[in-house]
Amino acid sequence: MLKYVFKRIFLAFVTTFIIISLSFICVKLLPLDKFLGKPEQRIAYYDEQVRLGYMSSSKYERQDATPFDFVTLSNGTVVYYYTVPVMQQYGVWIKNIVCHWDWGVSKTISPNVKATVIIGEQLLTSMRINIISVLFSVPIGILLGIWAALKKNTMIDHIISTLVMIFISLPSFILITFMMLLLCYKNNVLPTQWPNPTDPLKLKVLGYIIPVFCLSFGSICGYCRFVRAELCEVMESEYLLLARTKGLTRKQTIFRHALKNAMVPIFPSILAEFIGIMGGSMILENLYGIPGIGRLFIIALSAKDYNILFVDMAIFTTVSLLAGVVLDLSYGFIDPRIRMGAK
Amino acid sequence: MDNKFDNSKYNFTESSFKFVHGENRISDEKFTTKTSSFAKDSFRRFCKNKSSIVGAIVLGVLIIMSLIVPIFSAKSVSNVSADEAFLAPKLFAAGTGFWDGTKKYEKKINKDGSVSGVLYDFVNETPAGFYKPAVLNLVIDSEPTLIDTSSEYGQGGYVMFENVNFGDNESIVELNSDSPFSVSVVANYVLNVEFGAENGIRNEMLGEYRIYLKNDEKTLILKDWNSDYSAFSVDLSKTLENSGLSEISGVKLFFGLKNDNDCITYLLIKNCFITCDNEDENDLLSKISFGDASEMIRRKIDASGKVPEGYWKSTGRKGVYASEVYYCSFVYDTYEKVYGEREVTYTISEMRKFKADGLCDFDEKDIESTYKKLDDKCPIEEVFSVKYNPITGKLMDVRAAVPNYYKFGYTKMPKFILGTDASGIDLFTRMFTGLRTSLLLGVCTAAFCFLFGLIWGSVSGYFGGVVDLAMERFCDILGGVPWIVIMTLAILHFGNNFLTFFLALCLTGWMGTAARTRTQFYRFKGGEYVLASRTLGAGDARLIFKHILPNSLGTIITSSILMIVSTIYSESTLAYLNLGLQGVQSFGVLLANNQQYIQSYPYLIVYPSVIMALLMISFNLFGNGLRDALNPSLRGTED
Repeated sequence: MLKYVFKRIFLAFVTTFIIISLSFICVKLLPLDKFLGKPEQRIAYYDEQVRLGYMSSSKYERQDATPFDFVTLSNGTVVYYYTVPVMQQYGVWIKNIVCHWDWGVSKTISPNVKATVIIGEQLLTSMRINIISVLFSVPIGILLGIWAALKKNTMIDHIISTLVMIFISLPSFILITFMMLLLCYKNNVLPTQWPNPTDPLKLKVLGYIIPVFCLSFGSICGYCRFVRAELCEVMESEYLLLARTKGLTRKQTIFRHALKNAMVPIFPSILAEFIGIMGGSMILENLYGIPGIGRLFIIALSAKDYNILFVDMAIFTTVSLLAGVVLDLSYGFIDPRIRMGAK
Repeated sequence: MDNKFDNSKYNFTESSFKFVHGENRISDEKFTTKTSSFAKDSFRRFCKNKSSIVGAIVLGVLIIMSLIVPIFSAKSVSNVSADEAFLAPKLFAAGTGFWDGTKKYEKKINKDGSVSGVLYDFVNETPAGFYKPAVLNLVIDSEPTLIDTSSEYGQGGYVMFENVNFGDNESIVELNSDSPFSVSVVANYVLNVEFGAENGIRNEMLGEYRIYLKNDEKTLILKDWNSDYSAFSVDLSKTLENSGLSEISGVKLFFGLKNDNDCITYLLIKNCFITCDNEDENDLLSKISFGDASEMIRRKIDASGKVPEGYWKSTGRKGVYASEVYYCSFVYDTYEKVYGEREVTYTISEMRKFKADGLCDFDEKDIESTYKKLDDKCPIEEVFSVKYNPITGKLMDVRAAVPNYYKFGYTKMPKFILGTDASGIDLFTRMFTGLRTSLLLGVCTAAFCFLFGLIWGSVSGYFGGVVDLAMERFCDILGGVPWIVIMTLAILHFGNNFLTFFLALCLTGWMGTAARTRTQFYRFKGGEYVLASRTLGAGDARLIFKHILPNSLGTIITSSILMIVSTIYSESTLAYLNLGLQGVQSFGVLLANNQQYIQSYPYLIVYPSVIMALLMISFNLFGNGLRDALNPSLRGTED
């Protein structure tokens, strides 16, 4: 059992490693832009590239290669910079991460600040929003699902199912747009942008409403549908009928038998959801101006700040794979019918 | 009981028996019941689901529109015309009050008490900055609003002349008329000044002031330092006489203001008139005088450095206090503004050409009254006046009313039922043109993914074992890369054109279909009917195509249909992240671009969002119905 768990986690890490490596190589294959600016800035930038192992510098023009760029210093000497082969860069990059946990520094977003530091700050914002929305959506989604299942084929069930159908189909950006139109621009209740750190507390709290709602709607609907389907299935099962014939009341059968069994497939996905709070929603953060890692990804991409991009990618990949592993493993822990790693 | 058949009892012989069918061959007989094909059956099941029908109809309408609208639209979507930008949605004639291409402007009182709205311009008799003929239902505030800033459209109020150098005992600031004038004892020169006496605005107080006339040599004090803010009137000629002069020329009128040690001082001047009996002199003096403080403040040195007549110079700060402005509410017909009638001059030869082409008819002797428009192609509605050559006396040109829409290539007032966007393109056309591209992308991607995923998943699922394991790991790795990363890399490497999008979306999309197919194959390949078929000697191909695939096809087709919608969603997502399709109109790019007008022109984002929402919901409803309809195991269950 323990062996299986370790195997799964190990496999997830191997996959992550391959994915990040592939991303690194693909990004590095992109044509590079020359750094424009004053000679000192250029020297500083290129020296950093040399330090990271992405380029090599030379006082003389080499015969075997064309220089990527050259800088003429104030005293007249010229320094030539040459690009290093991508695989060689990759080797250095991996070495830096494994040996020193050095993910490099930011190039354009906030120059010469460690990428991990920048990500760390922004990750907190994303996580805060996600935690609130998970705490909000899981209970509501499950309760609505239970309600719909218990009132199956009544008006309430139809209303809930229709709403779930509509909201699950709506893309997040449409939802955000309508919420912003109604609450921010039409009625001026909420701030139109994510509040600044200097804003009063009331505004900051109000600023959470739109992001949390937008993130919650989807998962409320998802849980509601999931729970309803599971519970309906359990309610029709024979052991529940047996329980009723044994003399238990409907309430007793629901609480003691039906809910417990229905929760078996649902609980793992809740766990996975908690892992998922580390990711950021790119669209939401971009549209509402939230300084989270989703928005950072887009900024890094357009600013060609690749070191930040790699850390961001690593987080996204790790989170999604880890969530998958937790989902699979927790099935085994919760459902006694599944024996993991059994031959 | 003895079951043994006792033949002797009955005494049967061979002739007692005869074949029932005789010589007839027995073959399969046709069913006497009505047969039903799989497709027919599916359709019947689909029709039972009401919501799916609705979904399918909405979806069908949207698809047909996206095919038809771009073909029949009057104007191409690539024609950018900045003049026609941001026209409001219009379906009914202007003035109907609903969906009529008008925009409502109203005075709004903000949370902090400030007022925002459009001011009324009394000079041009129109709301400030708006084209007069397009303004409907104009209501001007009955009560003026007082503002403390100098406004182009302000009236009255006080000239507020401020001394900001407080704390400095010696500081005196002066406000003086810029153009010099003369005062003599011959005519009767009078100066009238009215002050404002409102004390305690902000952290300031009324300061001590004096009034004097001054030229290069002489200073003539009219009123020395004092704090009396009641109206002041002085006969300048008499003052001149008293000081023993007969004439003083090149003088300017000065207001001096002393500072105070504690706070900023100011002086409020309501009006200031210098009058004279002599008509010629009075003209100049009336230019210097001001009866309206706001008007005086508006006399500004323009960008070229030209000093206007009656300009007042100041060494302190000069502003206006409690100037009256009127807000107004009105309905603005954006179409009238862009396409309304204008006065245009036509030469007579152009007119003759119109007549020769049979577009209009007129008598050259009296064009104004005989002009008649015969064809829609003729731009001239009405002729205002004619102009003759002053030397030859011949007819030269004609001033005529021409609706402006002729300039944009229309022969009648256009109507954009969903308005126009930032580049002046009909939103309705643009939306459906974009939808066509997005749907095309979706259908292409879904078709490719369906084929590829089906093959991949079938092989993986049917054969299992090592093949399955290897294929699964490959999918794991490719599927593990966040799709946004793959898309981004593809776009960065190959540019954001249609082909790149198609390939990149396929690269990430087929795995879903493959996984679904694999699961279905695992589910059905162990079935008894497959085993039976295999025992009878069926090969792999027969098992796959005849037995397993038909059973699993329903789910796979449904997921592929839903893939169209997820492709559109992905494309829009990328557009929102500034990575959208370029070179072709796409729905996602339209949505993302219009997002910036959410506050100023909400309709630009509302209509596309509604269409997008409709598309998504109807696709899902349709997909749900389809899944049930294509499930062969549900055959006959509902009867």
